[in-house]
Amino acid sequence: MELKNLTIKKFHEGLINKQFSAFEITKAFFDYIEKKDSEIDAYLRLTKDLAFSQANKTDVDLANGKELDILAGIPLAIKDNILIEDEPTTAASKILANYRASYDATAIKKLKSFGAVFLGKTNMDEFAMGASTENSGFKTTKNPYDLERVAGGSSGGSAAAVAADMALAALGSDTGGSIRQPASFCGVVGLKPTYGAVSRHGLIAMASSLDQIGPIAKTVEDAAILFQAIAGKDEFDATSVNYEYKLGNAKKLKIGLPKEYFSGGLDKETEKGIEEAIQNLKSLELEFKEISLPHTKYAVSVYYIIMPAEVSANLARYDGIRYSQMSNVSGQMSLRDIYFKTRGSGFGDEVKRRAILGTFVLSHGYYDAYYTKAQKVRQLIKKDFDEAFKEVDVILTPVYPTPAFKIGEKVDDPLKMYLGDIFTIPANLAGLPAISIPVKSKKSEVKGELPVGFQLIGKPFHEADILGIGQRYEQLIYA
Amino acid sequence: MKKEIISKKTLEYLAGLARIELKLEKEEKLLKDLGKILGHFEELEKVDTENIEPMAGGTIQINVFREDDAMAGKNQKLVEAFPEKEGDFLKVPAVFEE
Repeated sequence: MELKNLTIKKFHEGLINKQFSAFEITKAFFDYIEKKDSEIDAYLRLTKDLAFSQANKTDVDLANGKELDILAGIPLAIKDNILIEDEPTTAASKILANYRASYDATAIKKLKSFGAVFLGKTNMDEFAMGASTENSGFKTTKNPYDLERVAGGSSGGSAAAVAADMALAALGSDTGGSIRQPASFCGVVGLKPTYGAVSRHGLIAMASSLDQIGPIAKTVEDAAILFQAIAGKDEFDATSVNYEYKLGNAKKLKIGLPKEYFSGGLDKETEKGIEEAIQNLKSLELEFKEISLPHTKYAVSVYYIIMPAEVSANLARYDGIRYSQMSNVSGQMSLRDIYFKTRGSGFGDEVKRRAILGTFVLSHGYYDAYYTKAQKVRQLIKKDFDEAFKEVDVILTPVYPTPAFKIGEKVDDPLKMYLGDIFTIPANLAGLPAISIPVKSKKSEVKGELPVGFQLIGKPFHEADILGIGQRYEQLIYA
Repeated sequence: MKKEIISKKTLEYLAGLARIELKLEKEEKLLKDLGKILGHFEELEKVDTENIEPMAGGTIQINVFREDDAMAGKNQKLVEAFPEKEGDFLKVPAVFEE
């Protein structure tokens, strides 16, 4: 069985028809990872013991005639800001280099109950702060299409692992585009669910009003299967919502094209890709309509005020006392010294920048001018979407202004890096579901060309619309 | 909006509030970057937000209640993860200085 041809459904059929065992496939993935990941750097560490015990359990269940869930034995990669009990979990930060998770994230608990296999924890920007994995405290993940380019971020390790066939699918997290942008850069599918659709319990918090866990997969169908498995209300996350996802036929849906998003500023390859996606969708007899989202052009400013404000609060817990200690810190120091030394040496530059920026926008005298103002414009951005969704069911936009950029190209200029998030941030600010789908099928990719994704944004809790159109798109381009 | 490019003094004050030790050689770049980022935020001054309610969070939920019951037991693994402890208590250095 070739790993690169596997999808969740194909794996499941092969497993129950005894073409292979879960153990064999898990081993095949590890063998391949050991060969391939030295050039990609997608994984921070592998969880072999856990994976083999999970795979064995599936094989034993099958031998005992138990009915297997569709996810049983499926080898997944997990972003390193999602807790797996007893496994080291760092969120790619040196401050958590010695931390071991005390419990399972709810999404992990659910996947375990379905029998999924966890191959390892993937690289990311430290605490999910970045768009290239260059802010990882440990290493930079390379794009499988071009090793001199970034895999995107912050879930770059998860996207690269799936794209390079080092996992069948993966979990990532998305605060301002961190699932969709790396998915677009690596030619895979990435879904950011509606805020509240998936429990955030056990996700290391970055900005709590924006964070969501979601799937990264080779196909829209796989993303839908994973999403269904992790969605739902959880007593440990008060913002989670009781929600049962059902895929509709997605036939009579109207797609909106925001005029502000197509008025220049796009890279040529990206523009060509988006045009191709629109033409393909038109052949599915989906209706298009021009719409306006006038306030979304302020999304970067709004996001880079609100997110750091929440970051500055969420990072307070890394005090050098509760989780694990840095080597330059000892219990003999004063409390104040422990705080300053731990955070000074444990946090990377981008994390420090955001913590300080967040402290500033929340500080006396500036709170109203920055934080309250940003919250008001956030409301206007949400209202733009409310208005648009009176006329259309789904909104199509680019994911990123360019294909994957070069390693080192933007990392020294944070504002330049932030501005790239313009197309993905609005869905987080408004709490909407959004998906990145590759324009081209694997077989029609042109060698030497970088992948481009297009984004579909749906109404709250209407994942079925964007996944439904996505699956029809996929059937068309793979036909 | 007040136009404020953060001064070196303000930066050090903020880093103090955030309990972050800054390396001197990195302060200049940090100041420059923060200045550029805050400069970009000035575009928000153009937006009319008269009578607009601030959007406080991402959730559609209002008032999520549960019974005020202690949930079963404690997670012993959380206690085991403490770097220093006495019994099941997290041990910290003295909070008040003499």
